[in-house]
Amino acid sequence: MAERGWDSILLYGNAWRKDPFRSLVNFNFSGDHALARLSRSGEIHVTFSDPWDSEIARAKLEPDFVKAFAGGASAIAGLDFMEERFVEACGALPASATADVEELRRVKTAEEIGYIKQACDLADRGYQRFAEVAEHGMREFELVAEVEGFLKENGAEDNFMLIASGGTEVVGMKPPTDRKLQKGDSITTELTPQVNGYYAQICRTLVLGEPSPGQLQSFAIFSEAQQAAEDLIKPGITAAAAARAQNDVFRKYGYGDYTGSKYTRVRGHCLGLYPDETPHILEDVDYVLKQDMVVIAHPNTYLPLSGYMVFGDTLLITDSGNTRLNKTAKKLFIK
Amino acid sequence: MKRGLIIWNRTELPISVFDARLAKARSALAEHDLPALLIYSDVWRSNEGRHLTNYMPYWNRSLIVLPREQAPVLLCGLSPRVYPWIKSVTVFEEIRPASKLVPTLLQLCSERGWTKLGVLDLPRLPHEISLPLQASDVRTSDVKLDLTDDAEMAMLRRAEQMAREILAAELPNGAGLTDYQFAGRLERAFRRAGAEDLVLLFRTGNAAPRPAHGAMLGDKYSVAVALEYRGHWARVMQGLPL
Repeated sequence: MAERGWDSILLYGNAWRKDPFRSLVNFNFSGDHALARLSRSGEIHVTFSDPWDSEIARAKLEPDFVKAFAGGASAIAGLDFMEERFVEACGALPASATADVEELRRVKTAEEIGYIKQACDLADRGYQRFAEVAEHGMREFELVAEVEGFLKENGAEDNFMLIASGGTEVVGMKPPTDRKLQKGDSITTELTPQVNGYYAQICRTLVLGEPSPGQLQSFAIFSEAQQAAEDLIKPGITAAAAARAQNDVFRKYGYGDYTGSKYTRVRGHCLGLYPDETPHILEDVDYVLKQDMVVIAHPNTYLPLSGYMVFGDTLLITDSGNTRLNKTAKKLFIK
Repeated sequence: MKRGLIIWNRTELPISVFDARLAKARSALAEHDLPALLIYSDVWRSNEGRHLTNYMPYWNRSLIVLPREQAPVLLCGLSPRVYPWIKSVTVFEEIRPASKLVPTLLQLCSERGWTKLGVLDLPRLPHEISLPLQASDVRTSDVKLDLTDDAEMAMLRRAEQMAREILAAELPNGAGLTDYQFAGRLERAFRRAGAEDLVLLFRTGNAAPRPAHGAMLGDKYSVAVALEYRGHWARVMQGLPL
C-alpha cells in the first residue's frame, strides 16, 4: 500500500468470487457479499450483507450493502466484478488492487501450502471413490452426486467438478448429464475440492472395459506431455515454457493442431483461493513462476484417437523444482 | 458451483413458456423504444437469464442479448466446444464466443445498427462491463422486468417440495453425525434427485446457521437448505425434532 500510495484498500467478495475477501479474512461467508477494509496502519473492518455471517464472525451487518462502500477507498481488490452501484457508492473511482493482491496471493505461505496439501489428499481420495463407484449403466449425474457427497462428508467446503463420458464424439467436459455410462467410454473428470478456502485439483481419465488402441495411444501422449511439464517446472521457468513443453509432445506425434483454443482451453493454471487462478499455463503467457506457487499442469484436450482426455496433477514449486502433491497413480484408469 | 444435472425438461417448461417470457421482455423494449435488451449472467447471477432463455453458465460469464425483432443471441465466455450442449438446453440458436464480452457486444451493436440498449438491472452490471460500455457510443438505460409467471411459481413450488421432502426424510439420520458427514449425505440425496446447486447451513444450539465446520449434530439441530432445481431456488429450514 505504501509503494502504491494507497491509504486504504477494500477487499470485496461475492458468492461466486469470495477469493479477494478471503485472501485477507479467511471466513467462509454464506451470504451474498462481504467486504474487508484495510488501512495502511493495519486496521481491518469487516462488513457482511447477511445477518448469519455477521453474527458468526461478530462483524458489522449492512443489509443495504451499498452503504458499506460509503467513504470509498484508495483501491479495491475485486473491483472488476463489483456491481456498478457499489463502485458509484465509493464516490471517486478507486484504483483496482486486484492484480496486486493476486500477485501477493500467488506465492503461498506454509500455512496455505498445508491447506492445499489437505485438499490434494481429499482430491486423491475423491478420485479413488470416483473410480470405485463408476460403473456401466450409472448416469453421469449419479456419479457426480456420489463423489460430491464423499468430498463433503470428508470436509470439502466446495468442489469444482466437470465430467464427460463417451468416445471420439466427446470434445470437452461440462456439468453432468443423464447419459448412462457405457462399456468403452472414456470417463474424464476434473476434481477440485476446497479445504479451508484453498483448492487443489486432479484430472484423470477412466476407461470402462478394455481400452481401445486409440485410447491407449492417446493416454501415452497425455502422460508424456504432463511429465514434460512436471520435469520442467521450477522457479524461473515461464508459464509459456511449461505450456510449450506439453504442446511440443503433441506436435511430435502430429497432433499440434489439437493444442489450440479450438480444442482446449489452457495447459494448466495456478491454484489457491480460486480454482482457476492466473497465470494460466499458455504459450503466450510470459509470467515467471516462483518458489511456493502451486500450479496444475494438465494437457487436457481433444484428440481424434480417443475423444476428449484429461490428465494432470497439482504441483508445488520448490526452490529447485517441484513436488507433485497428488498421490494418485499416474495411469489411465481401467475398470 | 454448478455441477448438478442441468437439463431442459420440455414437459416441465415448454417452449411456449419461454416464448411468452421473451414476448413480455420485447413489450418492455417497445415501450421504451429500445432495440435490444442486455442481460448479464454468471455462475452466481444466472436467474434472470435462465428465466428468459433457460441458459445457466456453469462457469464463467456471459451476456444475453435479446433483440426486439430477432432471436436472442448469447455472447459466451465458455468454449465453443460446449455450444452444442448449450443449444440443447436453451432457446439459443446463435452463440458467439466472447472471451472479451464488451467488444463482442459492441461488434453486435455495430452489425445491427444499435446505438442504444436496455440493460436489465443496469446498476448491478459488473464494473468491468459497465465501464467500457458507458465509455462506448452505445447509450444504455435501465430496464426492470417482472420475472414472475405461473410456470415460475410452479417450478419454485416443485423446488420447495423437493427440499422439504428430502430434508424430512434425512433429518433423523443426522443425529450423532458431524455436520460434514451429514452434509455429504444430503449432497448425495439432493443431487441424485436432480439438484443443480445446493447450499447447506447447519444450526446447533442458539448459534446462527453456518456452513459445515466439523461440529457434532446432537438430537436437536436444524438445517437450512438453499436448493436450485432447474434454475429455481428454494430456501427451506427444518429442524430436529420434526
